[in-house]
Amino acid sequence: MSAVSAKTSKYRRLLLPGLLLALVVATVAAAPLLPLADPVKQQVAARLTGASAGHWLGQDEYGRDVLSRIIWGGRVSLTVSFLAASFACIIGSLLGLVGGYFRGVIELMSVRLAEVVLCFPPMLLALLVVTLLGPGAVTLVLVLTILFTPGFARVAYAETLTARTLDYVTAQTALGASSGRVLFRTLLPNITPPLLVQFSLTVAAAMMLESGLSFLGLGVVPPSPSWGLMIRAARSVMEQAPLLLLWPCLALAGTVLLLNVVCDRLRDALDPRGAAVGAIPGFLRRRSRAPLMAAPAPTAAPSLLAIEGLTLRLETGTGPLDVVRGVSFSVPPGETVALVGESGSGKTLTALAVMGLLPTVITPVAGRVSFTGRDGTVRDLLALPEAELRRLRGNDISIVFQDPSSSLNPVHRCGKQVAEAILAHGEGTGAAAARKVVDLLRKVGLPDPAKRAGAFPHELSGGQKQRVMIAAAVANTPRLLIADEPTTALDVTVQAQILDLLQELKQEAGAGDAAGMGLLFVTHNLAVVREIADRVVVMYAGEVVEEGPVAEVFARPRHPYTAALLSSAPESDAEELTAIPGTVPSPAALPPGCHFAPRCAFALPTCDASHPAGVEVGPGHTARCIRWREVA
Amino acid sequence: MNAHSPVPPASSVAPTPLLRAEGLERGFKGRSGLLGRASTVLALRGVDFTLARGEAVGVVGESGCGKSTLARVLLHLTPASAGRVTFDGHDLAALPKPALRALRRRMQLVFQDPFASLDPRRSIGAQIGDGIAIHHLAPAGDIPAKVGELLAQVGLDPAHAGRLPHEFSGGQRQRIAIARALATGPDLLVADEPVSALDVSVQAQVVNLLKDLRTRLGLGLLFISHDLHVVRHLCDRVVVMYLGRVVEEAPAAELFANPLHPYTRSLLAATPSMHARDGSGTERAKAGLAGEMPSPANPPSGCAFRTRCPRALPSCADTVPVLADAGAGRRIACPPVLSEIAHA
Amino acid sequence: MLAFALRRTAVALALVWLVASLVFLVIHLIPGDPAELLLSQGGSAPDPAAVAELRERLGLDLPLWQQYLTYWQGLFQGNFGTSLQDDHPVASEIALRLPRTLELIGAAAVIALSIGMPFGTAAALRVGGPLDRIASVVAGVALSVPVFVVGTLSILLFAQKLGWVSAGGYVPLARNPMQHFILLLMPASTIAVGLGAVVFRVTRSSVLEVLSRDHVRAAQARGVKPRIIILRHVLRNALSPVLTVVALHLGALLGGTVLVEYVFNWPGLSGYLVRAVEARDYPEVLGIVLAISILFVFLNLIVDLLYAALDPRVRHA
Repeated sequence: MSAVSAKTSKYRRLLLPGLLLALVVATVAAAPLLPLADPVKQQVAARLTGASAGHWLGQDEYGRDVLSRIIWGGRVSLTVSFLAASFACIIGSLLGLVGGYFRGVIELMSVRLAEVVLCFPPMLLALLVVTLLGPGAVTLVLVLTILFTPGFARVAYAETLTARTLDYVTAQTALGASSGRVLFRTLLPNITPPLLVQFSLTVAAAMMLESGLSFLGLGVVPPSPSWGLMIRAARSVMEQAPLLLLWPCLALAGTVLLLNVVCDRLRDALDPRGAAVGAIPGFLRRRSRAPLMAAPAPTAAPSLLAIEGLTLRLETGTGPLDVVRGVSFSVPPGETVALVGESGSGKTLTALAVMGLLPTVITPVAGRVSFTGRDGTVRDLLALPEAELRRLRGNDISIVFQDPSSSLNPVHRCGKQVAEAILAHGEGTGAAAARKVVDLLRKVGLPDPAKRAGAFPHELSGGQKQRVMIAAAVANTPRLLIADEPTTALDVTVQAQILDLLQELKQEAGAGDAAGMGLLFVTHNLAVVREIADRVVVMYAGEVVEEGPVAEVFARPRHPYTAALLSSAPESDAEELTAIPGTVPSPAALPPGCHFAPRCAFALPTCDASHPAGVEVGPGHTARCIRWREVA
Repeated sequence: MNAHSPVPPASSVAPTPLLRAEGLERGFKGRSGLLGRASTVLALRGVDFTLARGEAVGVVGESGCGKSTLARVLLHLTPASAGRVTFDGHDLAALPKPALRALRRRMQLVFQDPFASLDPRRSIGAQIGDGIAIHHLAPAGDIPAKVGELLAQVGLDPAHAGRLPHEFSGGQRQRIAIARALATGPDLLVADEPVSALDVSVQAQVVNLLKDLRTRLGLGLLFISHDLHVVRHLCDRVVVMYLGRVVEEAPAAELFANPLHPYTRSLLAATPSMHARDGSGTERAKAGLAGEMPSPANPPSGCAFRTRCPRALPSCADTVPVLADAGAGRRIACPPVLSEIAHA
Repeated sequence: MLAFALRRTAVALALVWLVASLVFLVIHLIPGDPAELLLSQGGSAPDPAAVAELRERLGLDLPLWQQYLTYWQGLFQGNFGTSLQDDHPVASEIALRLPRTLELIGAAAVIALSIGMPFGTAAALRVGGPLDRIASVVAGVALSVPVFVVGTLSILLFAQKLGWVSAGGYVPLARNPMQHFILLLMPASTIAVGLGAVVFRVTRSSVLEVLSRDHVRAAQARGVKPRIIILRHVLRNALSPVLTVVALHLGALLGGTVLVEYVFNWPGLSGYLVRAVEARDYPEVLGIVLAISILFVFLNLIVDLLYAALDPRVRHA
């Protein structure tokens, strides 16, 4: 529902400029029907007279009616531009489609040939053709078609190239569809949106070029009216009659502006990535807000990190949505806590909230994240001003992200990026930092660390890049290391190496020690949890459903979701896997009561009615289920 | 249905395997050198392989080992640079185009990403019906009913045939993709990592569906995955690939119980397990594999695995090991291990 | 880097060959005899003797391949042909006027970049704010007004109504530097209006796109100061797309100078070209088109090399 209304509102923005443009087109199309004066009838006696009842916009240097000439001139300009854009669109799209689909010689003959035109600046090519063929409307259509065909060919070609490798196109081939069917039933409909945008862009560009050529006296031939010609003529008399210059300028610029606005709005409406604004990082927005709970900071709790009642709200077009609700757990020093859940469970958002790295559309609206710093003071990270939080990031708390390839800036050398972490929190010189970087890279197991420090990210493999990210994260010996799916993008054998490295780093920092480094490991992989974590926190649909010691939870899960996940893993020798029915609910449509109830084998009617609270089911083991006793 | 196929079924004197690949190679053009001279990166470097009717074969390996390329080459969606693929006795590369298209009815593909494998602009019913329409398997009027049956078969509501793909979740889309593949009544289903893009809690649904369909319809299944546990659950036989070559081939149960090739051993040891081990990670550390897979553009000489192999000998650099019989229906490409077996 | 530069240069040289050959072919591929076409300006049939004379003078009576060789021989000696109207060598006229056109383009690019980039960055960093909204509307309008309209209207306003500057013209730098730059300002600003709007838009969307990348978040997670993040991780990465789009607009820019030089009486290459087109003096037109196209190819080469300097992945590819 929300997706549909968002879509219509996007198209609604097209309505006004679209209607205005339609009005312009209708007016010039209806020119012969309108009660207009003859646009070429001269009346030299009345030259340069101002507006009158018979001539609303006055008369030009030959006494011709200006309003009539503007409407008839628009007819010429728009006809030439639409015709040229249509021809270019049809020819160019076909060339691009065929070239992109068949590649090889056909590509050379179609797209590459069309692109030769792009070797010439467009205005020059137009002038060249005008020299050879003489000015006139037919020449203009021909010139503009030649000029804009490569643009369409390029767009269609690029889109086809992308689309032809998409699985749904391959699927058509695999089904045994013929090339024609694939081209026109599957590819063409899917590359139409960008071609539509290109079309409106081209009409505007064609109008600019047409009027420019006419302005030079090399386009439309007088006495036919044309906006470019009218501006050219009015220029010579602009001292006596400046308004004469203004009207065609307004008509031309206004029409092009309308076309451009339609094009922009169309692009926004058709581009699924249109709403990229939400991804603006938080440091650009001042995050100042009072601590949510006035109560004094708690506690002599030995925990390094204590999250209490964390609720995160996503602002959507249709209203706020709480995507993480009431999450509480803690990470003791020297221990590894795994945060497990599927996509959409809120595990990554919880981790980002600790770092203060949430995207701006998501804000913490309740709860507290208490962190014990190196100096022993306990701070609520949610209430900390950005400047103070920055001093903790990469220093007391560090994070390693999922995809090492996108997390390193491709244009800077790896060593420099690791050094940033050191220099951001110390007074040290660049040279000292560079020496430390080499030590760090050696520590994370990179062979030939001095050489790797000088390498660009694309010169390293995925596993090596993740080692660089880990080096930057541990550069200032953090108290808490958050690892957000650090091995998901890596191969199994490399995953094993990275897991070992994290274990080693933790041992080195004093595992189990009160001063040791805590590790918060976010993952969807239960087997990885089993191997590296001391405690596990299981999240489902934005809530913690079970928390406890790893051995205990794996041996005796007390929440049906945890239990089902464990038994659905294909490790058992059972003939049939225990599958969880249904799908993960969307945060916009959470089931009432217990959010897992519709998929749960233990569900009772009461489960749909009331939302269960977490229950202590054993020492340090809680579960959010009313039938926890029967689960294990 | 055979009436529609211009290719007569091959004579079955000896039991021809459903699918046979011989010496498959597939190169991709890369660029190198001063003026961008074209160089070739081999994704497949000589793969031999068979799949019997109704058999489920798993292909495992890490990214870059060529397993996805293998799927496409076996279905002749990407032509092989060298070698031959025969499906039910027909050499795919030698078939005229119309005959190949007709033969595609019998071999179908399920992709990894269910969000990319369905056309976002057409209803799922129309997409499932495509195969039936292309191969004229039913009169146009009967197609909606057939689509309904197929949807029911994969556990979806036939009333949803008119919906667009974006109205379904990942797991449901994968079911739709499977229904589309089943629409033509194939003998072979190639599944390229069909569950790895799905949420953990729905993976088991799709695995169960595939297993169920296979037994019910007698489908041959080529299952490509990096998840060893799923392969073990679903397949009769497993092929392990490394850098474009098959290094080990064995019945599934035996491969997992007793991996022979050093790479298979390391792969199994590196795979995290939910079953408790004595002390976390220690077993893994023992078999731990140093380094990463070398670039396919510049593979090591001789045995491609020798640079990371815990038991590499100097002689491993000299010749490319060939797959050889290791007893009990198993084959491995590792001379040191083979000679050990021979002496034992 | 060197290998990349050599490869791109080779491609550029091949393009120059292609462009020059195309220019040569244009005159021979169009239907009808070029000499006849050129002389039939008034609409009346040309005098056959005059046609024959012109054919011989232009070497059109020779076999095509021989004409092609002569053409290249000429190009290598810097001979771009001779004007039909006054027998003046085209090359010397180009040498005189090309620097003036380049100066105009350079000045326009400097103005456009120095306005478009800061505003584009500021708008992106405060996306949705008042500056972003106003600047986006202004850029949208600026993009929609054709360059000759901007030029004509600014003459009307600044020269006619306000009398601040003269309506156009040119004074050599050596004679009066002050006056030279005053006269340069209006035509350069006119070109910069549209170009600046393009730069603004690309900078804005490019900065927005880079801001949402993972590596910016990673830098933030390391505790890097916001100022350094913006300079080192955002602007540095946002430069490449800006460069790409500016390069794509080079053609339109070179075309725009034709109109602007005409409007402001700037004695560059373009006024010369328009005069030649009006007179249908084809050796002149071909010579100028060839010169500007070669310039275009080399400007694109420079952009390619800059692109590689900005992005290590390109030069290693």
